[in-house]
Amino acid sequence: MVSVKLDNVSLVYKLHEKLTLSAPDRRMNDTGGRIASSGRKQFVQALDGVSFELKAGDRLGLVGPNGAGKTTLLKVLYGIYEPSEGNITIDGKVDALFNINIGFRPEATGRRNIVLRGLISGWTEAEIEEKMEEIIAFSELGDFIDLPFKAYSQGMAARLAFAASTALEPEILLMDEWISAGDASFQEKAKRRMDELAEKAGIIVLASHDQSLIERVCTKTLTLRHGRVESIAMTPMEAA
Amino acid sequence: MISTLNGALDDIFGAMKLRRVWIALAHEDIGDQHRRTTLGPLWLLVNYLAFVGTFVFVFQPAGKDAAGYSAYVAIGLMVWFYLMEVITVSVSLFKREQSFIEGTTLPLFVYVMRLTVQSAIRAGYAIAGCIVILLISGPALTTAWLWSLAGLLLILLATPAIIAIFAFTGAFFPDSEFIVGNLMRVGMFFTPVFWVNNGQDPIQTYAYNWNPFTSFLEVVRHPILSDEFPGHDFALTGAFTVAAWVIALMLLGRYRRQVVFMI
Repeated sequence: MVSVKLDNVSLVYKLHEKLTLSAPDRRMNDTGGRIASSGRKQFVQALDGVSFELKAGDRLGLVGPNGAGKTTLLKVLYGIYEPSEGNITIDGKVDALFNINIGFRPEATGRRNIVLRGLISGWTEAEIEEKMEEIIAFSELGDFIDLPFKAYSQGMAARLAFAASTALEPEILLMDEWISAGDASFQEKAKRRMDELAEKAGIIVLASHDQSLIERVCTKTLTLRHGRVESIAMTPMEAA
Repeated sequence: MISTLNGALDDIFGAMKLRRVWIALAHEDIGDQHRRTTLGPLWLLVNYLAFVGTFVFVFQPAGKDAAGYSAYVAIGLMVWFYLMEVITVSVSLFKREQSFIEGTTLPLFVYVMRLTVQSAIRAGYAIAGCIVILLISGPALTTAWLWSLAGLLLILLATPAIIAIFAFTGAFFPDSEFIVGNLMRVGMFFTPVFWVNNGQDPIQTYAYNWNPFTSFLEVVRHPILSDEFPGHDFALTGAFTVAAWVIALMLLGRYRRQVVFMI
């Protein structure tokens, strides 16, 4: 049974003042969260005591203003950021749709790009083989699949990226904004794929500024502000 | 200390399980660098041969036999270009891999191995050119050549550690990209790549004895040119390799989770 449990999770990281010859005000990275000081050291409190629990069937919408910690929380759940305090217990295979274009190489063919994407996603050779035709069919690229990615129109490239990225069988799916691609007819198809994906996934965590999307997809809404949980509640159903 | 080491080893073993990823990406990198050119990666061989030819033509000492000097320069440039490329490219490694580091959970060592394989493939073309020059220039093919092969393997073993050290350096200290690049360009003149230490010039002798790159060059060059096992150079290169791995493991164990905040 898939589940996610966060218990008092905080993420504090030190602002590394880079050893650079640049002017002092250009030494810091761009960061979100609250900046705290301790002596000469500066820290960013990106998440502060976040706790919640999700079980199979839950669809959690993360909302909040820019810099509230939505993407950070997703990355903590995915394992990119290690929390500095608290416990995370995840039962189930986690997949994420953060950047659907990641790893695509302009000089490689569409087919080769599918292989590379599969390898990066940790698919076995058999899984890549199995998904290849489905991805090609879904992306509607036809013979273009054996041409270099750079020869594709913007819409074709987006369709391939979308098809390859969503060829998952997620148990827990993390998304930073709902993804879509291509022209109007493909967008309809993409929407159906996303609905199917959401249906298949045991748990979804979706960060979005789109309130109507959150209401349509999510069963719970967690509001973050300055890295803290402001509220967590059942999502009101979208008016039909 | 133990947890630092465990963290580093976890990362390394995780990367080893994903070897198909870094091998595939490294091959794509090489292909992309030479796509649409007539010779493709053979340009690496042409570049190497052009450099060796130029250095032999310009710097061949008066009275020395051209064939012996050609072999000396051929091996020196092969090893130096490899080390120079590995070090200068490593400094910006994590910055180049930023989108992967911020968007995937791939172990950091995947990127280190991607660059290792890429550098080894590139070096393969120089090695092919070097072997041709050696066969033409005439050092006798003896069993001592196996020591040179062992020297090459030792350098290859040191490569991931060197890459990791300079990649972390670049993440902490962005200016190091330019500082290291300049130092390596200048360093070529302080390393016995194309000049021969005859013991008469004190600066050359100092550079020969105290430059750590000397031993990396000599473990490959000395067995072929002198038909001897360079024990001292092997010991030094081995010690540098062990030291590099210790530092790399410490950096990886301690800072691998911090890199995402530093790039």
